Amino acid sequence: MLLLLLLAVGFAAESRKITVYAPQTSYQVDILVREGLDYVGLADLLEPLGRLETHVEGKKLTLTFNGGSAEFQDGKRQYRTRSNTKPDLLSNFLLVDGRGYVSVSSIAQLLPHITDQATEFHAGPRRLFVGSTQYKFSAELRHSPSRLVLSFPAAVNPSTLIEKDQVRLLFRREPVVSSGTDTVAYRDPFLRSTVFAETPGGAEFVANLSQPATVTIGDGGHTVTIAAISSPAAAQSPVPPVAAEPHPAAPRVRPFVILDAAHGGYETGAIFSPTLMEKTINLALARRLQKELDTRGIPVVLTRIADNVLTWDQRAVSANTSHAVLYVAIHSSSSGHGVRVYTSMIPPPQPGQTNRSFLPWELAQSPFLQQSSVAASALTAECTANGLPVRSSAAPLRPLNSVTIAAVAIEVAPLGNSADELNTAEYQQKVVAAIASGIAALRGKLEGGQ
Amino acid sequence: MISRKLQFIVAALVLAILAMGFYLVHLKRKAELIGAGPAPETLTAPINGPAQQMILYLASDADDSLRPIAVSSALPGDPGERGRLALRTLITHYLQKDSAHSLGAGADVHDVYLLDPASAVVNLNAAFAESHRSGIEVEQLTIFSMVRTLKAQLPQLTRVRFLVEGKTRDTLAGHVDLSGWLDVGLVAEASK
Repeated sequence: MLLLLLLAVGFAAESRKITVYAPQTSYQVDILVREGLDYVGLADLLEPLGRLETHVEGKKLTLTFNGGSAEFQDGKRQYRTRSNTKPDLLSNFLLVDGRGYVSVSSIAQLLPHITDQATEFHAGPRRLFVGSTQYKFSAELRHSPSRLVLSFPAAVNPSTLIEKDQVRLLFRREPVVSSGTDTVAYRDPFLRSTVFAETPGGAEFVANLSQPATVTIGDGGHTVTIAAISSPAAAQSPVPPVAAEPHPAAPRVRPFVILDAAHGGYETGAIFSPTLMEKTINLALARRLQKELDTRGIPVVLTRIADNVLTWDQRAVSANTSHAVLYVAIHSSSSGHGVRVYTSMIPPPQPGQTNRSFLPWELAQSPFLQQSSVAASALTAECTANGLPVRSSAAPLRPLNSVTIAAVAIEVAPLGNSADELNTAEYQQKVVAAIASGIAALRGKLEGGQ
Repeated sequence: MISRKLQFIVAALVLAILAMGFYLVHLKRKAELIGAGPAPETLTAPINGPAQQMILYLASDADDSLRPIAVSSALPGDPGERGRLALRTLITHYLQKDSAHSLGAGADVHDVYLLDPASAVVNLNAAFAESHRSGIEVEQLTIFSMVRTLKAQLPQLTRVRFLVEGKTRDTLAGHVDLSGWLDVGLVAEASK
């Protein structure tokens, strides 16, 4: 009974939040209820999206976001924008303990004025999409063997629940939205119907089936395939419900490389401009490199896929428990030109020291230095071959010292003098293609040494 | 009726207040005169003796290199003071407008302590770290140039540790690890 009560309370707490999806991050914001209306804190909403400053003077709150500003007055419906217009908030602005609140119903109109980005708010599931972040998917029923293939415009990693006659995919982090028809009935011996629904904090896709099925995530997360289990024995035996982590039915493939987009969250790394930070470029490069390696059939895992904080030790532990062969930390810089490749700057292993020797945490990389040098040489050679200025050296850089596989860090700098070049698809792809070629050249070289 | 005694006491108190007021104004003027004068120079040990050659390793962002240059200066006898003088001279180069590797305004070295002839602790000021550009290469160039400059003055040096305002700091500006000792030999190898 107590457990049910706790679950109910937990669900209620979950449902009183807005989930925000932006190109660089996704997060949840608490809802404040005042006089029967739902309100949301402006700072909570805007802080993860850019540089925000607020100033309160009496009943007036002045907000500066990425250089633009807006003024709000406690108890007033209208606010003043940077273009000096006075749009309507639909309900009164609230100033509580120095923090500004606007009604939830007004945020779809308010945010484009402040962020200069298109905004879409789905009121029922309380999901807010800033910029063109929505993933619209397509579903295609294929035969021989019977399978339903869902295709997404970007990588997804849903939690999966497989039952005897139903598969449920839960999208918690991804901005998956309806493509038009939410409920589809099929006249098929395998698939009876599909239902898509957005829920508070996510979205759910349900496939109602006539026989047991497996779920496979492929194409680097761009497709999810629900396929019938063809074996008659399997079809007859009852399949117990399985609550599983992402990719439960996908065959476990040992990753070759673990990519670590450096920095994240409040730990921004270098700030190139008010709107461009190192953490964002690093994640974009990591995702692009993941895609490039996927196309070459090289299994990849990422330490982070969103704008979240990870400590150095968490990154090292992720690498050491990933069963990958190579760790690549990705950094970016506005200083210098081209690519730098770094290995750990620790003393070489002592005679007789092996990768099974007990070592201090900060020297754990020592037995793997030779393999790291091999990796650095391969990446350097491919960068040179692709016409990128490149330099390789050792560096006192965490978490390289504590990684127990071949480990390198790369720092990508622009070719010209503007950091904006780091944010161009063309340059990112040029760098990523060279790095991917270097990693591909290491297959066989490093795997044999593990 | 106020007694004569009480009148004397009140008058004495008023006089005392007025006298203190005049004295305060006098002190304020004196303080202003001192403040308007030339700034006191940094207190350093007097250096006597002939000028000697000092090698500095200057960093260049353009080609990620360290370049040795020789400057002449009267060098203090104390090894720690000699190290500090070398690092301050290096920083002076970095603070110039046309520097190939610039540091933020106000960057300075408080002290260089030698725990033994092989171990030096460099105590940087807060402005040095807070205003430093963020990036692996730019941070590494700064630290490596300082380590190699110190080694040039103190040949027995094998390890260096950096503190900021006397405290251990994880990184210089988000990248290069300052939490432990830096091996001078490995620094020289990495910055060849």
